[in-house]
Amino acid sequence: MTVTVQHQSHVAVNKHRVIRRRDFLRSVAATGAAAGAVRWSDMLALHAAELRKQEKACILLWQAGAPSQFETFDPKPDHDNGGGTRAISTAVPGIQVAHKLPKTAEVMDKICLIRSMNSREGAHARASYLMHTGYLPTASVKYPTLGSTAASHLADPDFDLPSFVRVGGTRGGADAGLLGVEFNPFVLNDATRPPDNTAIATSSGRYRRRLGLLGRLDEEYAARGARQEVVNQGKLYDKAAKMVLSPRMDAFDIQRETDATRATYGDSPFAAGCLLARRLVEAGVTFVEVTSNGWDTHFDNDERTTELCASIDQPYAALLRDLEGRGMLANTLVVLMGEFGRTPKINARNGRDHYPRAFSAALAGGGVRGGQVIGGTSPDGANIEDRPVAVPDMLRTICHSLGIDADHENMSSIGRPIKVVDGGEVVTEAFA
Amino acid sequence: MRISNYQARLLLLLALALNVFAARVARAADATSADSASAVAAEVDRSLDARFSTATAPPVGLADDATFLRRAFLDLIGKLPTSNDVLAFSLDPSTDKRHQLVDTLLADPAFGENWARYWRDVILYRRTEERALFTRTAVTDYLSKQFNQNTSWAQVATAFMTATGNVREDGSTALIMAQSGKPEDVTAEVARIFLGIQIQCAQCHDHPTDRWKREQFHQLAAFFPRVAIRPDRSGAQPTFHVVVNDQPFRFRRRTNNNNRYRGTLEHHMPDLENPSAEGTLMQPVFFVSGKTLPTGTRDADRRGALAEWITAPSNPWFAKAYVNRIWSELVGEGFYEPIDDMGPERECSAPEALDYLADQFAKSGYDTKWLYRTIMATAAYQRQSRSRRDFDEEPFRANCPQRLRGDQLFDSLVAALDLETRIPPRARGRGGSRQARDPRTVFNLAFGYDPSDPRGEIGGSIQQALAIMNSPFINQGISARRQDGLGALLRDNPQDNDALVELYLKVMARGPTDKETQTCLDYIRQVGDRTEAFEDITWSLVNSTEFIHRN
Repeated sequence: MTVTVQHQSHVAVNKHRVIRRRDFLRSVAATGAAAGAVRWSDMLALHAAELRKQEKACILLWQAGAPSQFETFDPKPDHDNGGGTRAISTAVPGIQVAHKLPKTAEVMDKICLIRSMNSREGAHARASYLMHTGYLPTASVKYPTLGSTAASHLADPDFDLPSFVRVGGTRGGADAGLLGVEFNPFVLNDATRPPDNTAIATSSGRYRRRLGLLGRLDEEYAARGARQEVVNQGKLYDKAAKMVLSPRMDAFDIQRETDATRATYGDSPFAAGCLLARRLVEAGVTFVEVTSNGWDTHFDNDERTTELCASIDQPYAALLRDLEGRGMLANTLVVLMGEFGRTPKINARNGRDHYPRAFSAALAGGGVRGGQVIGGTSPDGANIEDRPVAVPDMLRTICHSLGIDADHENMSSIGRPIKVVDGGEVVTEAFA
Repeated sequence: MRISNYQARLLLLLALALNVFAARVARAADATSADSASAVAAEVDRSLDARFSTATAPPVGLADDATFLRRAFLDLIGKLPTSNDVLAFSLDPSTDKRHQLVDTLLADPAFGENWARYWRDVILYRRTEERALFTRTAVTDYLSKQFNQNTSWAQVATAFMTATGNVREDGSTALIMAQSGKPEDVTAEVARIFLGIQIQCAQCHDHPTDRWKREQFHQLAAFFPRVAIRPDRSGAQPTFHVVVNDQPFRFRRRTNNNNRYRGTLEHHMPDLENPSAEGTLMQPVFFVSGKTLPTGTRDADRRGALAEWITAPSNPWFAKAYVNRIWSELVGEGFYEPIDDMGPERECSAPEALDYLADQFAKSGYDTKWLYRTIMATAAYQRQSRSRRDFDEEPFRANCPQRLRGDQLFDSLVAALDLETRIPPRARGRGGSRQARDPRTVFNLAFGYDPSDPRGEIGGSIQQALAIMNSPFINQGISARRQDGLGALLRDNPQDNDALVELYLKVMARGPTDKETQTCLDYIRQVGDRTEAFEDITWSLVNSTEFIHRN
């Protein structure tokens, strides 16, 4: 019985997609007709533009290890717990951030800060899973990560690049789980070079010839009774071949950006990831996750957050400016967050330990009104004093921005309906 | 008449096969076990066949020798048969050669290793603690030894439920470590793996359709509260110990808040209205038999009693869970699906056959090799394979193609492409990983899957397709500019026809069909360059859907 229900829900999803794709083709046809002839390269550009118009995109900048809110978005310069971190003014009067983020301060008008994030989970892997899925890990249900959910709801199944790309490993970040492997992230370890195994070892003519032979041999296997296996494998190979032979593969190559553009992002691995994220979203990718590692500052918090902040400050600000300059920010939600916050008290090793009770996150683009702060903590940073935002609230807010129905139910393999987000409410002020 | 290289080999192998045959006859087989397996297999087939009398689609015929051989090799030892194995088996005239083959493979040490990797994945894919990977090697070694020694399944299950010790050294700690010792999560996994029952649905609320109540789940969890995991950084590698806490306040609270789990003396069912309250004290009760222990019982007695009650022949779910799982792996579909979600409210597709087989398995003393021997002797196992059935078709009218697990596929590619000597040395982990990873592990990361997941829902990924299509490692294997591998094969077989047969035997473990021969010969003609064409054919074969499935 289980499988039947699941089967039906898949059909429903697919039907939905089919309708959207038809709308899309109609609107492209109309544009093409008006302009006379449309060249192939124009079609590609049009396609991506259409996708962006109708279907939102999201870039998740993941601060793995849990960033200190005191050294980023919730400085407490007047309290001992502040750890000596100063607060600086930003582009928006009345909003201050830590002095370690001067470039971010300049683009505060695009950012909505949330200073009242909270959860109960203080273990890295479980909290990372929670922030990515809205659920704690269990052995029986594999909850889908945010990027997979976005890909399953928003991406065009005929798109020739992967719809969900992860740059840098995200430990504990979960994958497509019950949504099925077609929504798993395409993982890149290094943003500065093309993904593994996408360079073909032969001419594209010979490659196509091989694919043709493979198709003929597979057809015989199908005729011997493995029809379904061949159909499924065929889909995958079509997708993989389409990807490696796609002219859009250039989107993975950040060397194609001008020196000037690359200079605005800086040259850390995270900067390369941010630039790549912009290129991919521009090419029509739905969800890109870029990881910044090393935020678990149990030792020498001050020194290490200085370096860590320096590594994200410039690329983050450059990404927001770049997206805005290209008219992409309105439809691209950029989320900057980690799995929890860090303790108000500085420990004996000048570090800060795990603290899920109060931490910060930053939203920008995707319909979010920048230049505002939601929620607040006590003067010592230990407690939330205003407008707590729980993890399900945050995920619901992200879904709202992307136009995903957070109450949509997926079926687990044992026939239990699982909502995209269970409970929580949209932080509506973010969009006001 | 010219004798081709291929024909010469056939003659040679005929002699070889006769030798093998003679040796097998001479060897005293375990006659009683074999007889009992055949008799039980026949009874299972009778029970299943009765269902086809009114079915619209009759069962398909038995698989040919080459298909059976490849299937049995992959199922039992996780590897492809060699060209010589294929020819020798095809030429072996003995009528019981399929039984003999199964016995030979069950005696191969690779049998234990193959199934150890399977159960490692069953346990570790559901880990909620990343560092449970510390047990990877230990659990594989432990299980490999048990399966090869044919330790009873009851003993293996007992070891997992009652384990203590260093997780890097004692593999039986893996299940507890995978759930970081948390009683509720360990309980859920014990019930799922050893009973095939998903009682954890009752963890938070009474299950709407199942008979198990929330209280029963927490009574089961009450067998595990005194188990904990303790980190140990004293050695060269960080590790954990599964420890027991029978004394109050033995562990002091650590100063940093990193959520390390500590054992408690008793389990409490949380109060749903007031989650921060202590909750209700739970007495250990085993929900199947209703047997109880008093609170205050020592850990060794609690877990010992639970293991005894779970593995007792009077508990039918223990045998059924194992039989259902192994049957599903071998025949392609379980009696219950998903395989680990059985229970009185679930639908069983052929209850008489499962009950009978599970009962006989219990009577054998949970003899795992006996179960393989029995299932593989059934017609249900030996039939040709067909894609997963539609819901209106009777179950088990055909075997079902199974996607190879990561380890099986890795070994198959290495054998098919002669890559054994070219496996790169342990590649350094990238992307911030501190652990050096061997190529098999890297391969498993891309190709592995959770073996408990419904097989119909396991697809591939783009990365997998890309890895076989384009990876430099595979490309080396496809190149004909080698002294060994395809280079040697083409040199030794100047006739295209011979070379094609040899290539098919090596990669596909069977000869090509007439149509395939035609397709390939046409292709070679069309390309005009023999070397290039054979590289393309090799590429197409390892990328084929058939290659990545066991049929």
